[in-house]
Parts: sequence; structure tokens; C-alpha cells
Amino acid sequence: MVAMLEPELCEKGATIETVLDTPEGKRILTCIQCGMCAGTCPYGEYMDYPPRRIINMLRRGFIEEVFKSDSMLRCVACYACMSKCPRGIRLSDVLLPIVKEQTLINQPEIPAELQKTLQNTLRYGNPMGESSRKRVNWATANGTKVPIMAEIKRPVDVLWFVECYTAYYQRGQDNSRAVAKLFNALGIDFAILGNEEKCAGDCGQLTWESGLFETLTDYNMEIFKKYKFNRIVTGDAHAFNAFRIRYPMYGFNYPVEHTTGLFARCLPQLKPKLTKKLNYTVTYHDACCLGRRAGLYDEPRDLLLAIPGIKLVEMTHNRVNSICCGGGGGGMWLDTFFKQKGMERLSERRVKEAIATGADVIAVSCPYEIYRFEDALKVIPHDKPIIVRDVVELLAEALGD
Amino acid sequence: MYIPKKHEPVRIGFYICHCGVNIASMVDVKEVAKYVGTLPNVVVSRDYKYMCSDPGQEMIQQDIIENRLNRVVVAACSPMLHEQTFRKATEKAGINPFFFQMVNIREHDAWVHTDRLEATRKAMALARAAIQRVPLHKPLEVKKVAVHPNVLIVGGGIAGIHAALVLANAGKRVYLVERDPTIGGHMAKFDKTFPTLDCAMCVLSPKMAAVGSHPNITLWTYSEVAKVDGYVGNYKVVVRRKPRYVLEDLCTGCQECVEACVYKEPKFRDEFNLGLGKRKPIRLPFPQAIPPVTLIDPETCIELKSGKCKKTCLEACGDRKAIDFKQQEELREILVGTIIVATGYQIFDAKRTPYYGYGVYPNVYNALEVERLINASGPTNGELVMRNGQVPKKVAVIHCVGSRDENTNRWCSRVCCLYSLKLAHLIHERTNAEIVNFYIDMRTPGKGMEEFYNRLSEEGMMLVRGKVADVYPDPTDGTTGRLIVQAEDTLMSRILKIPVDMVVLSVGLEPHPDSDKIRRLFNMSCSSEGWFLERHPKLAPVSTFTDGIFLAGCCQGPKDIPDSVAQAGAAAAECFSLIDKGHIEQEPNTAFVVEKECSGCKSCIPLCPYTAISLLEDKKKAYINEALCKGCGTCVASCPSGSIVQNLFEDAEVFSEIEGLLAPVPV
Amino acid sequence: MNATPKPTNGSWSPSLVAFFCNWCTYTAADLAGVSRMKYAPNIRTIRLMCSGRVDPQFILDAFSKGADGVLIGGCHPNDCHYAEGNYKCLRRFRLIKRMVADLGIEEQRLRLEWISAAEGEKVKTVVNEMVDQLKALGPLGIPKQFAEWDAEMTRLEHAAQTSQSAESEVAHA
Ligand SMILES: Cc1cc2nc3c(=O)[nH]c(=O)nc-3n(C[C@H](O)[C@H](O)[C@H](O)COP(=O)(O)OP(=O)(O)OC[C@H]3O[C@@H](n4cnc5c(N)ncnc54)[C@H](O)[C@@H]3O)c2cc1C
Ligand code: SF4
Ligand code: SF4
Ligand code: SF4
Ligand code: SF4
Ligand code: FES
Repeated sequence: MVAMLEPELCEKGATIETVLDTPEGKRILTCIQCGMCAGTCPYGEYMDYPPRRIINMLRRGFIEEVFKSDSMLRCVACYACMSKCPRGIRLSDVLLPIVKEQTLINQPEIPAELQKTLQNTLRYGNPMGESSRKRVNWATANGTKVPIMAEIKRPVDVLWFVECYTAYYQRGQDNSRAVAKLFNALGIDFAILGNEEKCAGDCGQLTWESGLFETLTDYNMEIFKKYKFNRIVTGDAHAFNAFRIRYPMYGFNYPVEHTTGLFARCLPQLKPKLTKKLNYTVTYHDACCLGRRAGLYDEPRDLLLAIPGIKLVEMTHNRVNSICCGGGGGGMWLDTFFKQKGMERLSERRVKEAIATGADVIAVSCPYEIYRFEDALKVIPHDKPIIVRDVVELLAEALGD
Repeated sequence: MYIPKKHEPVRIGFYICHCGVNIASMVDVKEVAKYVGTLPNVVVSRDYKYMCSDPGQEMIQQDIIENRLNRVVVAACSPMLHEQTFRKATEKAGINPFFFQMVNIREHDAWVHTDRLEATRKAMALARAAIQRVPLHKPLEVKKVAVHPNVLIVGGGIAGIHAALVLANAGKRVYLVERDPTIGGHMAKFDKTFPTLDCAMCVLSPKMAAVGSHPNITLWTYSEVAKVDGYVGNYKVVVRRKPRYVLEDLCTGCQECVEACVYKEPKFRDEFNLGLGKRKPIRLPFPQAIPPVTLIDPETCIELKSGKCKKTCLEACGDRKAIDFKQQEELREILVGTIIVATGYQIFDAKRTPYYGYGVYPNVYNALEVERLINASGPTNGELVMRNGQVPKKVAVIHCVGSRDENTNRWCSRVCCLYSLKLAHLIHERTNAEIVNFYIDMRTPGKGMEEFYNRLSEEGMMLVRGKVADVYPDPTDGTTGRLIVQAEDTLMSRILKIPVDMVVLSVGLEPHPDSDKIRRLFNMSCSSEGWFLERHPKLAPVSTFTDGIFLAGCCQGPKDIPDSVAQAGAAAAECFSLIDKGHIEQEPNTAFVVEKECSGCKSCIPLCPYTAISLLEDKKKAYINEALCKGCGTCVASCPSGSIVQNLFEDAEVFSEIEGLLAPVPV
Repeated sequence: MNATPKPTNGSWSPSLVAFFCNWCTYTAADLAGVSRMKYAPNIRTIRLMCSGRVDPQFILDAFSKGADGVLIGGCHPNDCHYAEGNYKCLRRFRLIKRMVADLGIEEQRLRLEWISAAEGEKVKTVVNEMVDQLKALGPLGIPKQFAEWDAEMTRLEHAAQTSQSAESEVAHA
């Protein structure tokens, strides 16, 4: 099995020069130019400077040329290159973000969609540019009652970090309601931040808008300090990633779990409650931040298999070899740019594989994916109906009543 | 021989070595010599370019005579390397070799520090410790222990086979213990070998047969070493012989039993062919197996499982009476003086690189499986047909699978590039298929290897420089199992997606999973990867840290057949060296009880791992049997009345060393 | 011959005395050398055949003669060249650790590590780590303390004597 990379701190405010002085930087110099990174990269064929060439240019003193190219805008931060690099070079964690930051700085013009998103996130605390006062609406509408930190005024066990897609988008809200239902079923003592919450910043971080990321981190850290809780749980794979890998640089030291990890841990209590039979053939798509980056391959699968009636089938590319939905590293807001460059949408590549399995359901565990795959299914022909569901939605459905 | 007279003044000679620039570049040797010259008892203090050279040693000897030295201290490399050299030199000049003390300022000082002043101070402190200790040294004598002339060899691959024959041909008695039912190791599975492309079995089977029939070799296959006791020259070894349910002395190898087995067709996974073929419960592992004796697998034999078989095999064997369903495991004890460990390697399990689809896509094979598929005595009689019954038209060979990779094994397995070229050639020869080799770096060191590479390149095989990233089914192909091999061609900076019929994974070599157990059994060390550790990478490549135990072949690290054989010869020669000398000299660092101080408390007795200590019932005093004591010093450290003394490591010697280490130095 | 901690370019630098067993840790240190690994020069090593030979007296003696730290290195459990010398060492180490604590010596100043012949890297990290810790702790200065205690004792003795003689004088008076 491919080794799990430890989420040690990557230097805050690192530049190419400072990184090369660290052990991680020295690692970069050990590259053997094998091309594994370029070969495995879902967009490798569209990059003039895939990681291998970046490193060689760096070693030869031509890194400026790389910064001027828009090559790295194609990186969807999927961690594929990093988890397969035979030298264990932490490409997607350390080298690529720095190159991306410089790429953004050096572009005569940033793709408009991305530009807008970054601005929205800075101004409103969410990439869609929705009002921050509406963030909590999902939790109060339709009779759902979700405890909010500022209101209950007491310490809780679990602080549930909801995140943007799961707060504002219709399909994301389904996901959140499912999580709330499961928390209640398990008797977990939890609360959310409500309107006080802002985007955790993983997307900004992965496009390496380091300034934006720091603004969001500073903000959220202040809010965390206001309340007492034992751990943070989030259903958003990207927030989970940010908390595990980047936030510790800013003093974050709470235990953090993704909902799939938490529910898998609670499976002994949860399983007897999963009484409703769901006769679906399901294929599971590994989210990059959970699978390759955190080694959570078995947990979501265990959860699915705990649901009576579910049959699990695998896509050609799974686990460490999974293909990204294309939403990471800013990819979520670069579809137009990718299209202009003649690049296939990765979500389309992925649903083709899912369709080929003959499954009824594509199970996911990251809110981006619902949106991306449902969109892709609109354009990719398929004979048999196929739907997209988050693992937690399926769990909630199986709970019965 | 110099015997110190009471009250004779101590006269020390101190020598510091430059070791070329190895030491002198980091330690100010002149300063150290000057400082040591000022210390009490020091009569001469010199520095010299190479102390271990003849002139260096002669300098010491001359000083001993001219300056009437009676103690010598040399500051140079590790005592592991040259302590014996200098002891011999002092002895030659007429003083007891144990009046010598060595100071390690190379491995422990010059090579590991970066601040010249600090390194010089350290050298001074270390030298001073020795200068303070050496006056307390006593004259000692080395013990001589006889070396038993028999040799144990563990592992019957090409390395073990070669070592066994070298020793046996010279008249030594050899026990060869092999875990599998036959000797031959990996080489017996190959079709041809690089770089000569000669037939593997043509060279190996005569050697295997020679082992089987050699009067000086006791061959125990299907056996394992269970226990090793003793020390160099005198190892007591227990070997566990697993039951084959066929008696070796009576079986003629006719295989009529196999023919007669109630299973008319072979039905079970054939281990020798890596599961590519089938076998019956009773079988000969392969036609040229040595010993040519069948064996019965208790997991699949009906009689052994339930006692309800018609036993047609037994019937077929008839008067030979070779089959014995009641055979039990046996333990055999042997006495040997030296041991050669030649347990080889195992191939990397390609399931650990899931993106190559091994075990998922039937047309993905590992290299050893392909060796069997192209082997005339293999499961397909040498015809390269795949699991789907087809002959491939296009084949990808992926180098470095599991090797040179932080996620799996970090080392280069050394033989894979070459065997990949070999397999590419052989597959092409058999099938006329188009072959693409994907490599990271083409590594072809060794005699004749680059020429081999050159020759095969001329044949026009396609070579792509790039590590394969992904292998997956061709989406445009429904039934044939065609695969896409995806990699960056790094010389062209282009991503290739090449459709092929068959993928060959050139898996690396790795230590056996039980190497840690074997290492403990023989008291050896392992590198962090699990290869057995040689005593010195350059100067003692087949010795281990345990005297009398030697290494040969791939258990020490990946290598090809020529190198495995060369090591086997070297290990055999090391055994000879000990056997022919007839005895070994033991460090006289044993312990003894100073009777008048012993209170008879008996606390030392249970501590000795070798039960060397007993109580003299009449005197109520502890007594150490010198022949049994190995000189660990554990009892010494624990005696409450301080009445046990360890030669060479006396309390007073250690205390003065501590004092010397911590004394202020002048720079 | 009490050594006061010696200044290095004007500043103090710790002395670390090490007892390494011949078969594993000493060899590992040789390997670190052959591999040209770099570590702090403060360590001074004494070679013993086995960690089982480490007499608690050696440790106390080293502290009393000016060592700021003592490191013992032996083979990993089950790997001792003499079967179980390292276990004996461990047992003794636990006892001496308590004693050393009673003397007011910080626990990081005494350390036992299992380092196999292949672990040159571990020699490097352990030594560096320990030297860093000793630097943070500052000088132990047992010799100086001993000198103070000695002075104190003589002063007390003297005081006792003088008061005794004073008493006897009184008695005579
Ligand atoms: C696919 C492939 C192709 C190769 N082709 C070539 C080639 O063409 N030319 C070339 O020069 N080299 C080639 N090599 C390398 C070659 O296999 C090795 O150099 C050689 O086999 C090493 O021999 P060995 O005796 O050290 O080990 P092995 O062949 O592994 O033999 C070790 C023996 O020890 C036995 N054993 C293991 N553990 C124990 C135990 N605990 N007790 C008792 N017995 C034990 C094993 O059963 C085995 O019989 C190839 C390697 C591979 C993987
Ligand atoms: S995979 Fe790693 S070693 Fe290979 S070229 Fe890319 S960065 Fe270099
Ligand atoms: S992180 Fe993913 S998208 Fe980015 S370079 Fe690596 S493989 Fe390509
Ligand atoms: S067991 Fe008997 S029948 Fe079978 S091979 Fe041996 S001699 Fe022949
Ligand atoms: S030194 Fe070791 S081997 Fe010798 S008697 Fe003492 S405990 Fe036994
Ligand atoms: S020989 Fe190393 S601890 Fe005993």
C-alpha cells in the first residue's frame, strides 16, 4: 500500500528559496525524473510543465519560465503525483502550491470565474458570493433544528463545521440534513457555528492564494477560540484537509474528523439502526483529500457495506489510483478555462467509469462531487439511470424512522 | 616475552594516525600528539601518515626496543578494523599484546564532526582516557578453541549449492538444509540467464545432481534450522525435518505413484509454477528436482486429511514401500564449526503497487511467472500463452516495480533491468510480439552486461524512458483483456497511452518476511531493509558480526548469479580458513571471582546467560568456569561486593577511562 | 582531578559520556562514521562488551567527574550478543534512574537507547537530541556541588570541633 504521508507542518509563507533549505526541499532535489507524476496526473497531457519538468527547470535555474507559463492552473490538487512519487516528494503539499502562487502572480490575466470566486470568498466568506447571514438558513428551515454555538451557550463534544456548499446549495443541504439526522440518531452532543462560520479556505489554499487563506484562517481561529468543544467534525473533505494540514501552522490543535471517519468509528452503534434495505448497486468515488491524502479508503466502503441491500462495485480507477472529480485546487471554478484549452472535464471522465460499472448510485463523500457528477451526468449519455448520493445521505436513508 | 616487574615504571608510547587526510583534515594531530606528550608516563608521542602501514608498525616496534616502552596507545580508526594489527605489532616487539589500547578518532570523531577545534578536543579527551587506562592493563593470554570441521549451509539456491560443492569437493563434511522440497532456488525456475542467454537448467542441474549424490554432503530438504547454540568452532544446531510422507531412502523417483493417484488430473495449485499450473497431492516439484523424491501435501491428500483414500499411490509404489502416511516430523542435532547462510530473497508482491493491476487483470504477470511460461518444462511447455489462451502480439515490460520507491522498497534490485531485457528478447523470440520496455534508468553494470544491452537494442525492441503510472483496461476493447499502459516518455515530454496484450512486471528482490527470525537464530544483524548485514561493506563482505557465520548470495542484498556464486566461493574459503587453522583465538575478556572478596551471596549465579557461574559448595564462594564464560560482564556489574573482575574491562580501567575523558584539555 | 565544565569559545558546552556495547551500538557509531553522518562533538564514548557490563557506579562516577549527561547504548531486546545482557542493563537502569532523580539530577541527563548495528542514523539523532536537551538544561556541575558539600562538611566538622573544644574548655573551667 502506498505510504500515508504525515500531515506535518509545511512552512507558513514558504517560497522556493526557503523551501529548498528544509528537509522537504532537499527531498525535491532527489527527483529521479521518472515521469510518474506527469504520467499519473489527470491533466498531465495538457501541461507544459508537469511536476517532473518543474523540478528539472528548478534545478537548472529556469524556474522563472515555469512561473510565466499557465501550466499549473491545470493542477486540480488531486495528490495523485504526490502519493505515487517514488522519491516521496510532497509535490501537491509543498512544491506545487508555491509554483501556483507564482503562476497566479505572473499571469497577465486570471480566468474570470476563478477571479470572481476568490473575490467572493474574501468578501462574503463563501465562494458563491451568498450573504453570510443566510449561511445558517438550511438549519432552521423545514423544521430541522440544529443547535448553534452562540445560542446554546455551553460546551459541546463535537463542533460541526458545515462549510459552504453544504450550507448554501440545495444538494449540499441534503447532505447536511443527513449528517444532523445521523448525529441525533447516535446521540452525539454537537452544535454548529451558524452564521459565524466562514469558508475554511482549502480552495483558496490550493490555488495558493496564501493571503486569502490566511485571512480566513485567522478569522475561523478566532471564532474557534470563543467556544469550548472537544473536537471538530466536518462533512467537507476540503475543510477536513485544511484543518489537518494547514491550520496547525496557525495554532490549530483540535482533534479533527471527517464524518465518514467518525461514522465508521461509530459503526457498532450505527449498524443496528440501519434497518431499511436499500437495493442499490453502488460504486464509491474516492475523494482525493480523504483517500490519497488521509488514507480513508476503507471507512466509506465499510459504511456502505453496513447498509442492508447495498452491493458495492469498484470503478477501474479506485483507491490510490482514483481519478479526481476535477474540483480541487480551484478546478471547481476553472471549467470554462479548461474547456477553452480543449481539456476534458474530469467529472465526465469519472462518470464514464462509473456508468461502465453498471451501478445505480455513485456514492461520494465530498460536497463538490455531488454537484460535479450530477452536472457531468447531464452530458454523458447513459442507458440506465444513475444517481449521485453522499455516503451520509445513504446512511440517513437507511436509518428508517 | 615481557613480564612487568613490580614497581617498574610505566612507559607509554602514543601514536596518532593522519589516515592520509581522513583524520588529519578534521583533527589537529600535531596538537594532540604534543598534548599527550605532556601526560604522565608518556615517553614518546608521535603522529604519522598511516599508522597501519608497515613503516608505521615498525616505528612502534623500534620505539618499544629503543625507548623500552611497555605500553602502547594508537589513536586511529575503529578497533574493529585494526586492533588486531597493532596488538600483533606490539607482540612482535616483545611485549604482551594486551598492553596495547586503541583510540577511535576516525569513525567516532573526524568523520562525524564538522568543527575542527571540537574534534581536536575530543581526540585529546579520548586519547587521555586511553593513556590513563593503559597502565592498569595486565598481561593476558589468548585462549585457543578447536574448530569443528563440519559446515552447515542454510539455503539450497545457487549460492548454497556452490558453497556446498566447493567445501565437499575438498573433503569437508557439509550439511545442506533447504526449506523447499527441492534445491535449486530461483535459478531453477528460469529459462535462460543473462547476459549469456545460456539455458539455466543446463548449468544448474549438473550441480544440483552433484549435491544430491556427493558422499560428503548430507542434504536435508523440506527442513529448517530450529535452534543454534554455541559459538564459532562449536555450533550445536537442531534441524527440523518436515514429513514428506515419502521415505527418501526408499523412493526411486519413478513417479508411478503420481500416475496412480486417485486424482486422475492435477487439480491443485502448483507452487513451483507459481500457481500457473496444477499438481496432484503427491508430486515431484519439477522433473529435475533434487532429491528426486516425491512428496505428499497433507492439505490436499485425502488419506492424510480423512484416512479414507483408496491409496492407489501406495499400491503403485508396491514393494518399494516408500510411501509412509505415518511419517512424523523429526529433529536432528548436528555439531558444526562454521555456518554459511544462503537463504536468498523473495520477489516483491506486485499487489503492493495496485495501479499496475496485478491480481486484478489476468494479463498482468510478474517476471517470475513469465520465466515459468517461457520455460520448456513450465506449465505451458515453453509456449507463451496467456491465461486467456492467447499469444500476445504486444507486450509491455515495466521496470522497477517495487524498487527505487519510498512507498515500497527503496533500493535498486540490481538485476531487474537486465532480466527485463532478457525477457523482452525471449518473449519476442517465442512469439514475435512487439515489446516495449519502460525503464527509469537503464542499469547494466557488470562484465558483459552493457554489451548485452547493446545487442538487444539492435534487435529493435522499443525502449521508453519513463516510469509507468497506470495500467487499465482499454475502454474500446470488450473481450480480449487488452490493457492501456500509461506513462510519460520523459525524453519526449509526452504522455503515452500504449495498448498492449500483456504486461510484465519486473518485480524487485526483497528479504524474506521471516528474515528477522533467521537473523535472531544465527545472531546476525540486518540492515534496516532486512538484508543480512556483512561485517564490513568492503573488507569483510561475506562475514557477519558473529564469528564463524558467513553469508552468500542474495540474502545479503540483491545480486545476479555470477556475484552470488562468487560470494559463495568466498564464504566457503572463509570456512576453510577457520577449519584448516584448526582453532580460533578468543579474546581473553573473561571474568573471574576474587575469592577472598566474594561473600557467597549467589546473586551473580542466575545472571549468567551461559551458566558459567556456580557455587563452590565447600568454600561457599562463587566460581566462574572460564571455558563457558563469554565475557559479557553482566555478573561483574552486579556483584554487590565487587568481587568479580573482567579481564580487559576491569572496574579500575573503566573508572580511569571516565576520568580521562572528562579531564580538561588545553585547547 | 575535578573538571569544571570547560568553555568553548567562551561559552559552555555539555559533556556527554556514553557507554556503548561492542556488538550493536559501538558498531552503529562506526557505521555513522563510515556513512559520514554528522552529529554533535560533545559525546565521549567508552566501549564495553555488553550493556550488561554497565555498572551503576560508572554512571555515578561519570556524573561526579563532570559529565552533564550519560548515554547507554545496547542492542535491541532479543538481540543482545550475550542473549540478555541488555535486559539486565534495563533492570539496573530503572533503579539507577530513581537514584539519580533523588540526587536532583534531571531525568533527561541519563538515557538508555537500543541501537542496532545498522542504525547509524539513530546514533546521530539520539546524540543530537540529547546534546540539545543538555544544552537547554545547562551545566550539571556535580563536581562543583561536591566541592561545596565538602567545604560545608569541613566547615561543619570544624564548627563541631571548635564547639566541642569550647565545651570542654567550659567543662574545664
Ligand atoms: C525474474 C528474475 C530473473 C532473474 N534472471 C537472472 C538471470 O538471468 N541471470 C542472473 O545472473 N540472475 C538473475 N536473477 C537473479 C538470481 O535469481 C539471483 O542472483 C540468484 O537466484 C541468487 O541465488 P541465491 O542462492 O542467493 O538465492 P535463491 O535463489 O533465492 O535461493 C535461496 C534458497 O534458500 C532457501 N531458503 C530460504 N529461506 C530458508 C530457510 N530459512 N531455511 C532453509 N532454506 C531457506 C530457498 O527455498 C531457496 O531455495 C533473476 C531474478 C529474478 C527475480
Ligand atoms: S514522480 Fe517524483 S521522482 Fe518521479 S519525476 Fe515526478 S517528482 Fe520526480
Ligand atoms: S496534484 Fe494532481 S493535478 Fe496536480 S500535478 Fe499532481 S497529479 Fe496533477
Ligand atoms: S514413492 Fe514410490 S512410486 Fe512414488 S516415486 Fe517414490 S518409489 Fe516411485
Ligand atoms: S562475564 Fe558474562 S558470561 Fe562471563 S561469567 Fe559473567 S555473566 Fe557469565
Ligand atoms: S551485546 Fe549489545 S547489549 Fe549485550
